[in-house]
Amino acid sequence: MVGKDCVAIASDLRLGTQALGISSNFQRVPVSHFSRVCPSLTICQVFPITDRLYVGLPGLGTDVTTLYERFRYRVNMYTIKEEREIHPETFTHMVSSTLYEHRFGPYFIEPVVAGLSKLPTGGLKPFIAAMDLIGCINFAKDFVVAGTASSKLYGVAEGLWEPDLEPEDLFETISQTLLNAVDRDAFSGWGAVVHVITKDRVISRTLKARMD
Amino acid sequence: MYTTDSIIYRSDYDILSRRSPIPEYVPSHLLYPTTQSTTILFIVEYAMEAISHAGTVLGVLAKDGVVLVAEKRVTGKLLDLSSAKEGGGGYGGSGEKMFLINSNVIGGVAGITSDANSLVNYARSVAQRYLLQYNQDIPVEQLAQRLCDMKQGYTQYGGLRPFGVSILYAGYDPHYRFQLYHSDPSGNYSGWKATCIGANNGTAQSLLKQEYKDDMGIDEAIKLVLKVMSRTMDSTTLGSEKLEIAVLTYDEAAKKPKAKIYKPIEIDGLLLMHEMSKKTEEAMKS
Amino acid sequence: METSFALTGKGYVIVAADTTAARSIVKMKDDQDKIKELGSHLLMAYSGEPGDTIQFAEYVERNIRLYQIRNLYPLRPSAAASWIRRSLAESLRSRNAYTVNLLIGGYDLADHKPTLYWIDYLGTVVEVPFAAHGYGSYFALSLLDRWAIALTRGRPRRHTDILLRYHNPEATLEEGLATLKRCINEVSKRLIVSPDRYKVKVVDKDGVREVEL
Repeated sequence: MVGKDCVAIASDLRLGTQALGISSNFQRVPVSHFSRVCPSLTICQVFPITDRLYVGLPGLGTDVTTLYERFRYRVNMYTIKEEREIHPETFTHMVSSTLYEHRFGPYFIEPVVAGLSKLPTGGLKPFIAAMDLIGCINFAKDFVVAGTASSKLYGVAEGLWEPDLEPEDLFETISQTLLNAVDRDAFSGWGAVVHVITKDRVISRTLKARMD
Repeated sequence: MYTTDSIIYRSDYDILSRRSPIPEYVPSHLLYPTTQSTTILFIVEYAMEAISHAGTVLGVLAKDGVVLVAEKRVTGKLLDLSSAKEGGGGYGGSGEKMFLINSNVIGGVAGITSDANSLVNYARSVAQRYLLQYNQDIPVEQLAQRLCDMKQGYTQYGGLRPFGVSILYAGYDPHYRFQLYHSDPSGNYSGWKATCIGANNGTAQSLLKQEYKDDMGIDEAIKLVLKVMSRTMDSTTLGSEKLEIAVLTYDEAAKKPKAKIYKPIEIDGLLLMHEMSKKTEEAMKS
Repeated sequence: METSFALTGKGYVIVAADTTAARSIVKMKDDQDKIKELGSHLLMAYSGEPGDTIQFAEYVERNIRLYQIRNLYPLRPSAAASWIRRSLAESLRSRNAYTVNLLIGGYDLADHKPTLYWIDYLGTVVEVPFAAHGYGSYFALSLLDRWAIALTRGRPRRHTDILLRYHNPEATLEEGLATLKRCINEVSKRLIVSPDRYKVKVVDKDGVREVEL
């Protein structure tokens, strides 16, 4: 979700095989964890890519890990060779082309990217984007959703989101959107994590949620 | 058939050492890789000889870190250093001879720069591939081994020349903590407490042998390294235009190794602190 | 039917797997060891398609051993789990995928922690305090959630506290084995096709060993 000079990204924390929950804390990456759940084995995780850029990977559990590892490889090589951090736009196209490489045997992941991009003037501009599983990018100005609860997320977000929210209000909006949507979805929930990315810092909070 | 090769070959080393490393009396058939396996060994020897004329790189292992220092040879007032001024910004290698290979390894190279660039790129890929497979940083010795496997391959067959590069690896891993390795064009590698490659490495090594102490901290190691460097370099005064410095330590708070390649301005600051810079020497004279 | 459990406690991981080898409705063997010792401090329980399991387990075993021979030190449990996961994930998109589910229990000598990984045939990996595969998982996982609440000796104050309070990472080995017995009893009681014999192995700072229940 986009706010005033800030963006937020949130995800639930469940990993399950169909209806059987396996873990409520799939966290293997420092800083943040993951999350979003799914039909046949899914989770989504939100991963920090740089200090100002996060990606959420909702979908099939094995592909969450595989894609995260591949992106880490490519971003590390990019950073070390270019000697600068990758921009959100560039990263989004990297994600998109990685997915499209598997056009006829895709990874079952619909990534969400959120970050602050640098303007030529030196300022920062909120950036969010989502993709389908073969990498078609949706650059949005308000909010993007993905995962098993996406249909419910659309409804709640449509009702709660408004332009130019300050970081704390954006946190409240995205948290309420996620928790309420996820409660209507059997495959998602079991806790949530929210990151609000602002100019000076990233506010990361773990939310308690219904455990049923 | 190998004529073209030989020209490239010799000219490369000429540039590197500013004198021909290949004595004129060596029969020309010995210079080129052929199917005779003995001849290629000469070429490896020459590559190593050539490196002993390259800019000095030295490394010292301390109990809480590793330090590398390199002498820069490519200088001059017309050289555009605007990108080097910035340093690596913490994301990559900064200069001519120091490279961040992985978050736990810094490499210092001596020899043919183009060969070194290619090896550094290979090393970075190897490290990232290990991370992809095992989700942990590559152990330093394994990285050195992988590069040596590659280097060795080029000494085995005819038609190719070896990499004209020696590398110092300063790294950290949980198995053996801080480590310093050296690899040469033949594909040999070895671990050191302190070592030196490039010009005047003999002088430097004997100095290191005298002055090295087992319980040194990183600050003492930096001091030692600067002292040795000031005695081995051709120029009498040290400055950021001639030096590169990199330090690998362990960040206890973040629980991970911390690699730092100094920016030119930081190098001058360091020299000032250790009273080795031009200014202090001039001041002392006056 | 095949069932395996694993749980962590204070400085150890217990891994248990049934010992039945069956073809269709016929029990061919009831003393099959389905827990491989991958190293001095690493255990792997495997289950799934009969041919695949042994083939894949031996492939893993040999590769982990090769790493140790080459480098003198063994892979850490987290690195081993990552490598095994990658093997399965690559296999998944190949022509003939391995259908193997795994529980990897290890003791990491570098940071002195017991770790347990749940891995399925798709290559999904997650580090967990306890885990199960097979039909037994439907009974054991919920029992472990509840059993752990009992260990806290207090009524969970809120619904949301339940899963946060389940695991007792401080349980002694005796308590851990008692918990495991409860899982096995529950499965015997409620599952029609429950296995009757299990092999139980433990890994802690002293290495791997088999224990009798």
